[in-house]
Amino acid sequence: MSISRRDLMKGAMAAGVAGAASGFGMKAAQAAVHDATGERQHDLFKQFKGNVVLLPGKYSGAVSAMDLSVPETLAWYSFGLAGIDMPIPHHIAALPSADPYKGFDFYQTMQPPAAPYVNENSPEWRDRGAFKMFKMRYDGSGQQNKISIVSDVSEATGMALGVHVSIGVGPNANKYVAYADGQKDMVLITDISDDPKIVKAFRCDYDPVARQVNISHIFPDQATGKFDFIDRKGMKTSHEAMLGEELMPADPTAVFVDAFTWHPELPLGAILIRRLGCCAIVDTNTWEVLAMLSTGKGAPDNFPLVKQQGYTWTFSIPSVLTPLHEAGFITSGEYFLACNNVLQNNIAVYRSEDPNPLKWKKETFVEGFGRKYLPLHMGNVPDSRWVFFTIWARKPHNGYICKVDPKTWKVVAKWDTGPDPHTCDCTVDGQFITTVYSGHQAGQSGMVVIHADSNEIVARLPNPGGMHDHVVVPESWEGLKSSRSTSV
Amino acid sequence: MTTSRRAIHRDRLRVGCSAAAGALMLTLYAPGSVLADSVDGVFPTAEEVGGEVFPEGLKVGDAFPTDWEIYDDHGKKTDVGKLIKGKRTVLAFFISAVPVSVQELKKLEKVHNGSSKTQLLFVNTDLVGAGLLGGNRVDETARTVRVIQREEKLNNRMFVAPNDALDPAGLSNKLGFRGLPTVYVVDADGRVENVYVGPQNWSDTNI
Repeated sequence: MSISRRDLMKGAMAAGVAGAASGFGMKAAQAAVHDATGERQHDLFKQFKGNVVLLPGKYSGAVSAMDLSVPETLAWYSFGLAGIDMPIPHHIAALPSADPYKGFDFYQTMQPPAAPYVNENSPEWRDRGAFKMFKMRYDGSGQQNKISIVSDVSEATGMALGVHVSIGVGPNANKYVAYADGQKDMVLITDISDDPKIVKAFRCDYDPVARQVNISHIFPDQATGKFDFIDRKGMKTSHEAMLGEELMPADPTAVFVDAFTWHPELPLGAILIRRLGCCAIVDTNTWEVLAMLSTGKGAPDNFPLVKQQGYTWTFSIPSVLTPLHEAGFITSGEYFLACNNVLQNNIAVYRSEDPNPLKWKKETFVEGFGRKYLPLHMGNVPDSRWVFFTIWARKPHNGYICKVDPKTWKVVAKWDTGPDPHTCDCTVDGQFITTVYSGHQAGQSGMVVIHADSNEIVARLPNPGGMHDHVVVPESWEGLKSSRSTSV
Repeated sequence: MTTSRRAIHRDRLRVGCSAAAGALMLTLYAPGSVLADSVDGVFPTAEEVGGEVFPEGLKVGDAFPTDWEIYDDHGKKTDVGKLIKGKRTVLAFFISAVPVSVQELKKLEKVHNGSSKTQLLFVNTDLVGAGLLGGNRVDETARTVRVIQREEKLNNRMFVAPNDALDPAGLSNKLGFRGLPTVYVVDADGRVENVYVGPQNWSDTNI
């Protein structure tokens, strides 16, 4: 017996109608959130309900929002739509949302594709991509979820910075967002409105002969109200320094500013300065520079202020014993932690409760990373019971994620999650750690979910985009304290 | 920024550095058990790269090292010792990734003005990346150097010097520079006559 195609289709349609009538499986196309009840993996993933993860794909040029509880991509946006040739969505931070499935706002930075992976100064590559910062919006209220650009912060301010973005918390909650860039050595603070306003900007320059660093307020043009640092303007070096490239020859003034992190309880923030192994602590009421922490082992707790002239603070940096990468505050604000790396691989632990950062002292170091493994990023949990760190390594080594007990400052667990590990974050309930690895922009990449207390790797999800960062959308301003704010 | 290194006195923290890094080394590794470079994933200690991130570097009167690799602007290997032997030489180290270092080359050429007493050589101090696209890094860097030569309208000879900043024997560690441009004036006997870090007002100098 043969069955014609028409007969087959009739049968399929009849089965579909019957299925719909009996209530399983058939939903309107483009449903905003998938209900995975009844699917075999639901028992595993349902415990992540309420967690929407943003994943910028560094070399894939898109950002996506993933419902970790299905898991499925809720929406994605390709920055090619914004007219950028070879966009590199880099770092990300999300504003809190009580219902992230309905909507939330987030910030995305972008840098050109120039990197030691390509001949960045060849005529074929040197003009590709752009420095940008965007305020973005996820809208899950309709029949099709979507991500769209709310504002191009770089165009609005005249300053384009491509590395970390972090949002103010505690005394700075619901006020500010900070952007940083190590190719320009600048930090920009804006408000969080849809039409972003410049609040303050800093520039950092090293004097290699005097061995001093100048931290200066910089001001927009009075006529335009904007800076003149769009796209590549102000760039000292044509690619962001990779780990270890703090030792590479660069612009003599280059210090590789990486991020601004916010104190969760005090009106203070930290400008992270990779190449000098230093963090400038800033008063977020006045934006004055109060202290220059020198985080290396064997270095003093801070370097002295030589002079303040106008809006420039000059600190003596007689010697740099090691670069650092990220530094930030534990959720409680009790400690400031700095990931020293390259020449020393350790994590400096400052007590950071005093409103005067000149009184902050290094109490100990987390150690034992050897010469191949570099402390890189840190990740918090809401109750500060653990601190997680990404420990990066060059090829052919994978690097790993580790858990540190803040009562003893010892490493108590390690996970080799995959090659080229990057940021850690935690689920909104603080029970699970999420972390991404990017396979050096070409190879194995994925996201891993770890139970913060049992140490079990609970789930592993593929990521085709070479994820260099990610963030779980926090549910409240309090929840943001353990997200992209206090640490990066 | 006028930045000749010659007259600067620096207060150092070498004792603290040595104690901290030395203790770490003793705890974790037998001395000499690992070698740092960018190949096997081992990172150097401060001691291995001049004591800290910004090493002292070559000083006036030092013999200028010539035991490092150099290629001409078509990727052909040549010899530093032969290039500078018996000639007063201005060696301007730059890198295509640092705009301010490229911009300095034209300024240098203008003040040098074809002097027959001193030769002026431009050295790109790194190799461009090829990890994602493949290709010979020396040849690709030489191609970039030729682009710079053409676009900046430079007449002096240009070279390519591979550098591994993580290798204690890498060029930037051997010479001790971190900022580019760094310009060495080397006398006919091969001794450092002066060192200039960063952009200069070259008319105030004796090159």
